Amino acid sequence: MEVRAHGLVTEVPGAGPADHLCWVYEDDAAFDEAAREFLAGGLARGERLLCVGERVIDSLRALTPPVADVAGLIARGALETLTLAEAYEATGPFLPEQQLAYYDAATRRAMDDGYRGLRVIAEVTDLAADPAQRAELVRWEHLADEYAVQGSGFSAMCAYRADLDKETLADVASVHPLLGAPEEISSFRLFVDGDRLTLAGSVDTFSSDRLARVLSSARAKDDGVVLDVATLEFMDVAGCRALARWAADLWARSVAVEVTGSSALLRRMWDVLDLARLAPVTFAEALA
Amino acid sequence: MIVPMTVSVDRFEHEAMFYRGDADFLAGLLPFVRDGLERDEAVVVAEPRPRLELLRDALGDDACAVEFLDMAEIGANPGRIIGVWATALDRHTSAGRRLRGIGEPAFPGRRTAELVECRLHELLLNHAFDGGPGWRLLCPYDQEHLPRAVTQAALHTHPVRSTSSTRLPSDAYATGGHVAAFAEGLPEPDDAVLRGVYGPVDIPATRRTVAQWARSCGLPAERVEVLELAASELATNSIRHGGGTGTLAMWLENGAAVVQFTDAGTVTDPLTGRLSPPLDSEGGRGLYLVNQLCDLVQVRSSDRGTTVRVTTWF
Repeated sequence: MEVRAHGLVTEVPGAGPADHLCWVYEDDAAFDEAAREFLAGGLARGERLLCVGERVIDSLRALTPPVADVAGLIARGALETLTLAEAYEATGPFLPEQQLAYYDAATRRAMDDGYRGLRVIAEVTDLAADPAQRAELVRWEHLADEYAVQGSGFSAMCAYRADLDKETLADVASVHPLLGAPEEISSFRLFVDGDRLTLAGSVDTFSSDRLARVLSSARAKDDGVVLDVATLEFMDVAGCRALARWAADLWARSVAVEVTGSSALLRRMWDVLDLARLAPVTFAEALA
Repeated sequence: MIVPMTVSVDRFEHEAMFYRGDADFLAGLLPFVRDGLERDEAVVVAEPRPRLELLRDALGDDACAVEFLDMAEIGANPGRIIGVWATALDRHTSAGRRLRGIGEPAFPGRRTAELVECRLHELLLNHAFDGGPGWRLLCPYDQEHLPRAVTQAALHTHPVRSTSSTRLPSDAYATGGHVAAFAEGLPEPDDAVLRGVYGPVDIPATRRTVAQWARSCGLPAERVEVLELAASELATNSIRHGGGTGTLAMWLENGAAVVQFTDAGTVTDPLTGRLSPPLDSEGGRGLYLVNQLCDLVQVRSSDRGTTVRVTTWF
């Protein structure tokens, strides 16, 4: 299990284990700079780098030291690239489980070759822009997040162009522990931390539908789900109801939900709104 | 000896009982309670603590058959009381028992704004329970210690008036009085008011503004958190039901911090936020929560717009 970095960032943070960074960029220069930082961090950690998508491969041309010697890195196996077409061919049609199998194999291969892990940059704006793929993409982001946090050695930057429609951007951005964006895109983030899901930021009526969407696409373990809300800054009635409906859906599948780190006010709301009648959620004290 | 005070009819009977002093209070209430117990009705008493204890002691062994609620607690914000009665009525009616209640919302020592709200509450009781299952609610009014305007108003809010020895229809009462009371304006603040306008994208900013102001007023963190939540819910209501925009006003007055939300919408059901909303309904929850969490909530609405005033006592 990894202790992971999370929060809203304005610059690519120093590389750490289990990084899962969403990077929303407005122009090429901003993307190139972020990619350079992210890759340099991986090199310094002794990780193999994998660049997915033409846009990322393009940015390799703009690289400066210490990742300037692209040909050299590729030649010695420290850097691999995959066009989207190649990625499709390698992973098949976009299915989260197949994505996971592919990246799991690639990460293991990197470790077997002596690298400390696999650091992936993927520019997936086009996937997000395709309404048919979006839900699966969000589901994949959850799986990737869980995979990264397991100590697999996998870390990733998912890059999206800022000109995607706001709802789409918010959906994909909200499922990353680390988010870098030119403006506020999603008021909350839902990510995997250790053996639990963490909900951070704030949820109100205008983001509660999104919370319902991303909660429902998160993978629920059969033996129960723990949701940590210790870093949740604010939640209104609509947010609480989205949480309760999610818990009710899980309960219908015999999966219990435990909420940790909740404020006294959140528990009071739960009582006043009689949400226990929707779903039997257990509220536990925050871990010290 | 127990004298039946009335022939039970199957409708809601809402009665103001005027008393002077402890002995008179007991002379009026003891027969009412015992008559109820005799008929195997569920008797629920909501009184402020000293009066509650007085009645409980006087009832002796009969007290264990009565449910006592602290009116200063359940009715601290009068907007919560109808929900308490509705729950009790539902519980006892579905168990096949008739409900008999005593409720003294307008007790001496309450602040002026609370007494104003008690008057609206008394009017809304008629609106809430007329036409539903029959039950009796007797509201004691302390003639010695309440302002005369308050006891006078009780004649307009209760169809029946009584004392320990008389029981008469109240000629001053007219049905539908809640409509005008719900539409009437609230007194304007005397002192400096901070004002701001909010639109659909301003909900987070509005709640943060309210939280920051509440903190700067010296309210404890837990009250600040409640007001932040209230601000979010009430501003959201303006966006959803109040024409998409609203005005926030904040001011300090005698011993209180007040935040007020005004918009162009109309609350058509004056009981909105007073009754626990069904689990599957979408609306009404924000105001219900605000009523439950805040010290005093005053809602006024007409075709000229809606005002929700939230008062927090220091």
